[in-house]
Amino acid sequence: MLETITQTVEQVRTGRRTIGDLGKTGIGTVGAVAMLVVLMFPVYWIVTASFSQGAGLMSSDGLFADPATYNLDAYRWVLFESDFVFDNGEVGEPGALFNSLIVVFVTVSVSLSVIIPGAYALSRRKFAGREKILYGYVLFTQVGAGLSIATLIALYALFVNLGLSNNLLVLGVFYAAGAIPFNTWLLKTFMDNIPVSYEEAAIVDGASQWQVIREVILPLSKPGIAVVLIFTFLAGWNEFIIAQTLLRPENYTLSVELYSLAANEYETPWTEFAAFASLFALPVAIIYFATQSYVESGLSFGGMEG
Amino acid sequence: MSTSFLDRVTDLGHRRLRADRTSRDLFGYLLVGPGIALFLSFMLFPIVFLIYLSVTDATHAGTVIGGEASLIGVDNYVALFTDTQFWNSLGITWLFVAVSLLAKLVVAVTIAVVLTHSRVRGKRYMRAIVIVPMGFPEIFRVTIWRGLFSSARFGPLNEILAMYNGAVERLVGVVDAVAFFVTIEAPGLLLVDIPVAWLGGRWSTFLAYVTTEVWMAYPFMVIIIVSALQDVPMELHDAAKVDGAGYLHRFYHVTLPAIKRPVMFASILTAAASFQQFLVPWVFNRGGPGRQNELLLVYGFREAIELNEYAFASAIMVTAIAFIGMFMWLAVKKGRLAEGVN
Repeated sequence: MLETITQTVEQVRTGRRTIGDLGKTGIGTVGAVAMLVVLMFPVYWIVTASFSQGAGLMSSDGLFADPATYNLDAYRWVLFESDFVFDNGEVGEPGALFNSLIVVFVTVSVSLSVIIPGAYALSRRKFAGREKILYGYVLFTQVGAGLSIATLIALYALFVNLGLSNNLLVLGVFYAAGAIPFNTWLLKTFMDNIPVSYEEAAIVDGASQWQVIREVILPLSKPGIAVVLIFTFLAGWNEFIIAQTLLRPENYTLSVELYSLAANEYETPWTEFAAFASLFALPVAIIYFATQSYVESGLSFGGMEG
Repeated sequence: MSTSFLDRVTDLGHRRLRADRTSRDLFGYLLVGPGIALFLSFMLFPIVFLIYLSVTDATHAGTVIGGEASLIGVDNYVALFTDTQFWNSLGITWLFVAVSLLAKLVVAVTIAVVLTHSRVRGKRYMRAIVIVPMGFPEIFRVTIWRGLFSSARFGPLNEILAMYNGAVERLVGVVDAVAFFVTIEAPGLLLVDIPVAWLGGRWSTFLAYVTTEVWMAYPFMVIIIVSALQDVPMELHDAAKVDGAGYLHRFYHVTLPAIKRPVMFASILTAAASFQQFLVPWVFNRGGPGRQNELLLVYGFREAIELNEYAFASAIMVTAIAFIGMFMWLAVKKGRLAEGVN
């Protein structure tokens, strides 16, 4: 950083760069930063609001509370008094976090158990209809996200009649089903990049079909499986409308609790809401960005190459 | 045998692989089968069930099974296509798709061009920050914007408008002080009446929906457009510069043609997503005020879950699915989606 600055000063002094040239770069950069500030305003607002308990946010002048009054009271409320960890903060009564974790556990385990074999078969086996399956998966992933809401009313009716509506396990399986196309496709492309020669070498050494899968494919796919694990986790953690439709209050997951906090137009407790939202979203956002490069590669379908 | 060791090994490998082929086919189906079965049972089966429901007279969830509903043919569709609420909903949905697509294109192309511009320092870090909205859960993003669009006097956006009003008045005050010979007052046209009841009016609600939709979807577009812009050869720009083309000319004749295809692809996908938007209207004010902004999925969901018109709602959802199918067809034909799938 310092080096670049001294370099630039040197360039200006020796006349290789004009002040005007420098000014244009400065204006361009400042403009870009200003654009970024406007775009990130909502995120900044929610984070500062979560530290502003008792500062009269949204009831007095000023967008933000005085930084000197920042405190963690809202977080204390979320952790010890809301339904976030325990029901009404009563230790021992599992709250929304537990419900979310149950759902996510089911989603991750069910979906991984069908995604890994499916991805392997689509990557390594040749069978009729293989391309059609992939095609269908990609199509659903990219265009059909709203289908699950469209079909929700039919499933709701079925679940109510079968007595399965207020069931965290069923909800977890539902999410797992929705997560299959994208994640199978993702893991399949990951496995495509494992050289076939490793398997051939193992076969030459006398390994059986199962041994090849267990000792060549699975270990080499670990990073891909980790990413799929994160995505299926997020699928269960983030979803809201299906959970709200199927569950009753005692089984509410975190996303539904978050909505309940924000549902009242005039009496929404914004600081508490902000703290709840931050605890709900920031950890998963960090995990999400750790896998950023895979997200972008997940977007690189045929049509994008121009 | 005169072939090298390596060739023999590969040959052996191939033979082993080939010998297994017949059993492998079955094995492949066995592996991929459970995933497909699970997916279809929660996706295809409900669609079939929806189509069945849409030709019955089921009213609430309890009558759906148990023989209480009877087949009535296409009556629900006739009722649907003669319902003004349906046409209003379909109209507002397409308007939402069109307006938000246009806004997304302008916003995303602007961001992408700025963040690849040679005059901007620290582009890489900025590009990492700008896509942050993508990482948050959808319910988080939607509820934040619901808070920003609070109708309260001290709601964030009303507060910003108040600042804007203050700035206009101060500016006019300065002009007034300079031009001492006439009295100038802030023109009413420039001032905004606060507080604005954002979710109380039809078009201000619509504006709120579009703003939120654009904020949630621009990172996806920016990623695609930035990677397309980076693929534009610098020589083209340099050649155009030598020929004396100004910035706008170069943008129009060099940049735009180069990013046209990827932008087209991204537009189809994001338009499809907008068409299926549910959470924004639902969380903001359930498609209100009244039922003026009920996007198609909200309309169908409400008829079923809140108004106990299951069969009628199924007809709405089947119609929505038909439109989604159309988007899929469009994505395949025009976006050349899935072209690289193999």
